[in-house]
Amino acid sequence: MMATTLLWPIIFPAVMALILFLLPSRIKLIREVLAVLSSIVILYLGFSLFSLKNLTLNVDWLGMGINFDFRLYQFSAFILLALSGFLFLTTLYSTIKMKDHPRIREYYAYIFLAAAFSNGAVLANNFILLIFFWEALLITTYALITLGLKPTSHRTAVKSLIIGGLCDFSMIMGIGLVWASSGTLTMDAVHLEPHGLAAAAFILMMIGAIGKAGAMPFHTWIPDAALDAPVTFMAFMPASFEKLLGIYLLARISLDFFELKVGSAMAMVLLIIGAATIVLAVFMALIQKDLKKLLSFHAISQVGYMILGIGTAIPIGIAGGIFHMINHAMYKTGLFLSAGSVEHRTGTTELKKLGGLAREMPWTALGFSVCALAISGVWPLNGFVSKEMVFHGALETGYPIFAIAAWVGAIFTFASFLKAGHSVFFGARSTEVPKTRDSQWPIVLPILILAILCITFGVYNRLPLENFIQPILAGRAEPGEHLDFTAGALNLFTPVAGVSMLCLLIALGLHFYGWKRGGKKAYLASEPIHHLPVLKQLYDLSEARFFDIYEQGIKFLVWLSRVLFKFIDRPIDFIYEKVVVSIGRFFTGLFQKAHNGQYANYLAWTIGGLIVVLWVMLKLLQ
Amino acid sequence: MVFSFIFLPLVIAACLPLIGKISKKLIPDVLTNATLAFLLINSILLIKPIFSRGSLLQNINWFGENVNLQIALDGFNLFMLFTISLVSLCITLFSIDYLKHYGHQANFYALLLVMVAGMNGLVLVPDLFSIYLFLEVAAVASYALVAFGLGPEELEASFKYLMLSVVASAFVLLSITMIFGLTGSLSFQAVARDLQDLNASLVLGVCLAFFIMGFGLKAALVPFHAWLPDAHPSAPAPISAMLSGLLIKVSGVYALFRIVYSVIGMTPVLSKVLMAMGAISIVVAALLALGQADIKRMLAYSSISQVGYIILALAIGTPLGIAGGLFHLFNHAVAKGLLFLNSGSIQHITGTRNLNELGGLGKKVPVTAGTNLVGALSIAGVPPLAGFWSKLIIIIALVQANHFGYALVAVLASILTLWYYLLIQRKAFFGPLNDRWQHIKEAPFWMSAANVILALLCLLVGIFFSPIFKTWIAPAADALARGVQQVLMWGI
Amino acid sequence: MIIQILLLSGLVLFSILAILLKDLLKAALSLAVASLFLGIIFFRLGASYAGVFEISVVAGLITVLFALTVALTRKDSEVQEARLTRLVFPLFFVIFLIIDGLVMKSLLQQVPALPAGPETGTFGDVLWKARTFDLVAQLGVILAGVLAVLALFRKKEEDKDE
Repeated sequence: MMATTLLWPIIFPAVMALILFLLPSRIKLIREVLAVLSSIVILYLGFSLFSLKNLTLNVDWLGMGINFDFRLYQFSAFILLALSGFLFLTTLYSTIKMKDHPRIREYYAYIFLAAAFSNGAVLANNFILLIFFWEALLITTYALITLGLKPTSHRTAVKSLIIGGLCDFSMIMGIGLVWASSGTLTMDAVHLEPHGLAAAAFILMMIGAIGKAGAMPFHTWIPDAALDAPVTFMAFMPASFEKLLGIYLLARISLDFFELKVGSAMAMVLLIIGAATIVLAVFMALIQKDLKKLLSFHAISQVGYMILGIGTAIPIGIAGGIFHMINHAMYKTGLFLSAGSVEHRTGTTELKKLGGLAREMPWTALGFSVCALAISGVWPLNGFVSKEMVFHGALETGYPIFAIAAWVGAIFTFASFLKAGHSVFFGARSTEVPKTRDSQWPIVLPILILAILCITFGVYNRLPLENFIQPILAGRAEPGEHLDFTAGALNLFTPVAGVSMLCLLIALGLHFYGWKRGGKKAYLASEPIHHLPVLKQLYDLSEARFFDIYEQGIKFLVWLSRVLFKFIDRPIDFIYEKVVVSIGRFFTGLFQKAHNGQYANYLAWTIGGLIVVLWVMLKLLQ
Repeated sequence: MVFSFIFLPLVIAACLPLIGKISKKLIPDVLTNATLAFLLINSILLIKPIFSRGSLLQNINWFGENVNLQIALDGFNLFMLFTISLVSLCITLFSIDYLKHYGHQANFYALLLVMVAGMNGLVLVPDLFSIYLFLEVAAVASYALVAFGLGPEELEASFKYLMLSVVASAFVLLSITMIFGLTGSLSFQAVARDLQDLNASLVLGVCLAFFIMGFGLKAALVPFHAWLPDAHPSAPAPISAMLSGLLIKVSGVYALFRIVYSVIGMTPVLSKVLMAMGAISIVVAALLALGQADIKRMLAYSSISQVGYIILALAIGTPLGIAGGLFHLFNHAVAKGLLFLNSGSIQHITGTRNLNELGGLGKKVPVTAGTNLVGALSIAGVPPLAGFWSKLIIIIALVQANHFGYALVAVLASILTLWYYLLIQRKAFFGPLNDRWQHIKEAPFWMSAANVILALLCLLVGIFFSPIFKTWIAPAADALARGVQQVLMWGI
Repeated sequence: MIIQILLLSGLVLFSILAILLKDLLKAALSLAVASLFLGIIFFRLGASYAGVFEISVVAGLITVLFALTVALTRKDSEVQEARLTRLVFPLFFVIFLIIDGLVMKSLLQQVPALPAGPETGTFGDVLWKARTFDLVAQLGVILAGVLAVLALFRKKEEDKDE
């Protein structure tokens, strides 16, 4: 295969985006068929490139080290394959779910553009190229959120743009420092010790990576988007694409660009961020009353596991983190898609209004249940395997606190999914929703595919672990040690696994207790936790957006702008009132109009500026 | 024929009032646009000799006698000529329809051509005093053009602009005089040569301070900026575009940096001072822009802020910094020209410039809204538009030169820039349609065409950034980076 | 030396008067007198052409234009100004003179001697041959001025009524 094949995953979706945009809105069937077929083509490209394992394309572009440099290797091929897979599932799903959307042309165009940009970012081997594609994703995210057509959609879209933009700028600064430290812009040529300047670069780039993945504190737009954006966007971006890209970059930062040592300061930063994200986000998820918002908080929480895994800097932990990334993408997408299926048939995702839908929507319920069990880490699904790997790694760092945080997260994850599943599908049939049946096959099929994959990746974990994950960590093992994670993966009778099972039982107990207390209403199952003494205040503050740095940041900037304006305005007035005419040389304009003296103002500033410049120059020249 | 850049517009401008008596609209339109198109093609054709030889010198022979009209063309000049012709052409295209508001197209075009001739002349002459004179040519034309509408607000703004400009010109002249006193000559080459031998750093410091003030006022550098937010909004939209997009850069940035780099030579002291002023401009103007209700005032403050970026980058002194500054100059000329023309479209369509009165225009006038968005995103530095690349290069250059504080300022100000531009978008184009605008229609053909051309430029330069960079920016940056050697090389 | 100082102070004094005087006509006349002083200074420095141009243009042409304008408009020949101006400006002017004197004194010692530059010759030579480009630019400025007058004083028939 020629090297330029590497450009196809980028150019082909972009071209399809244009075509899909230009098709008039009324030609529905052709558009849908075209979209699905294109995604299948891209998926095929992903498979064939993955089988190739190694390919590079390098074109001189701008000089100064900025080249058109793409590289396909195990890791990027794996991510590329995953991206194309999710693109296919989302597109298939969208053919029904987004059928009557007024701006359908734009929707498909943005989806394919986002795929093009994501592929470019994954394949890039030159930092400048990476920045280009990474930033471009901001636009497609913004545009897709506005397609939610809610009154607050635009505001949320701007929020995602600004938060994303801040993280991206941080990443650019980090890349600049990397360039200053290593002298090259080619990604696979950089390998630095994180000291001093390089440490700062590590932190800055890390912010960019985890911001894209949606970790705290850069997460606040995701729950808003859960309500304001179309649910297919939620399945597409925050659930799968952004996690894949963000954790891909984080893994590369920790493994390739910088030498992350066990227990080093940088690793501690990652561990702390990961643990905090897991716990804080899962507490927020627990009390949610809307299914989509609950799922979005879980998405944030699970990112914590991935970051925690990578932060352990121990092979099994890192492998666990990366494996968790792909697993999470699968079951979270499945969960969002099933939420969408429920929304499609009943028109709502509020837990209060739903109930007992399992009889009428059996396939959706099945898919949801499998994915929910997977995310909770129930044996023998894929979530169990990756979580166990992360637990092992966390324990080996020597700081049990992180493992404890991870287990606490596991408890409440399961508890909240018990609540969610119970409220939506099981329990008494809700009277607020009319009788319905299951969704059409293009909606249900992706969910089931993902559920089957969850089971497969769990039971037959050799497949993903040996083909995808282990090659990434090749060369990282201690001499003599054989890298094999699959051996004890499904072993239920180890202490670690035992603690995990205990957590699940605790969660079951909590849920049951809350359910009873709430008068046998499933959606109130989390209320006892909600109303615990300290937690209640924290929850209320959270609802009031007290912890949302974006909101606080906006308030601060508006205040600052006002203050600075006054500081510039008042002195001008001061000069006008007290010191009217020129301070230095002389021309008082005889200008008589309503704003008397305003010209003199300007002149005063001008001459004043001249004097300052003169003084500075002479001072510096002495 | 490099001299055509100066002579052709002047001659056509002289003829236009007479032509205007015969044909009020058609011939002036055609003639002006043809002239500018010719100049644009001419500037593109000149790339080849510059690439091969590095610089070009031309003399005029008047009936065999060697009349002392000399022009020196190098990468930097050519780049400016290209920018001037390109943006002016789009502006005159826009004016074809827009001038219906004012009438008297012939007068307007004549003044505009004189301004273009003045700018071209400023860019081409290798002589200090001639720079001052051509500065005045362009300035006088611009005073008249700002006041073209003859309303009280416009006249007042023009007068204030005039009075402040005159102060600036006086200081520039004073500085030129001092340099003449020091070296006894006025041509770049002679001055550059003589200054190298002279040990007059203190006096030169004073001269430079005057230059900074004079040209800084023309470039609207803080604290010499106060005239711009009053002058630009009151002028007719095409003139605001000319001023913000071209004049402040040519008569301010070009003149200052040409003298600083090629004649006197960049020193660390100067670099510090200019970088500090650039950074102050960026921040102060960006914050002031946030509170404005008039679109054009907000755009005017944004111009001040972006010129701050250009000056900050050019003052770093490294080749990458110079390249970034020049590229940003080009991008800003295109994008800000676009935005001001666009505000003219909005004013034409709705009759108001107040952001609080507009709303939801995006559905009714998609072309205007779309081009406005492209221009705004380009200046804010969003990929894949052109502004992203220039801002990126500037930030990288700052980091490379170890100016981390400035880099941080540049990055944060970028976010501010994005914010207030999104504010314009939201207030004017998105959101619910204000009932007043139920019956508006899209802007007339030439206005939209000019907007679309400029928007496409933003996009294409962003995507095909490499060839543009290699052809235009790199030679220009090299010409400046060679410093005083560049001028000494000319061998006049 | 004394004469030079007298002439310069006269120049400065009448310029300030031109700004401070309330009656427009008197202000215009002050300007004419100031330019007369400047012209004499030019003559004494040996720049006869500069002196001629200065006096004929400023003291002659411009003063006549101002006088005409004042005569034709006639309405407010008084100019209102903030009272503070009259007090503050002279004060600052004095302060400026002091600062200026100190700076100039220290600076003057640092200015290297003037060499005889390559651009010498008779006035005619310089104007027509050596600095021809400036003539072109000057033509440009005049053209700009003429066009500006044409533009700013046009009759507004078919107006901007859209």
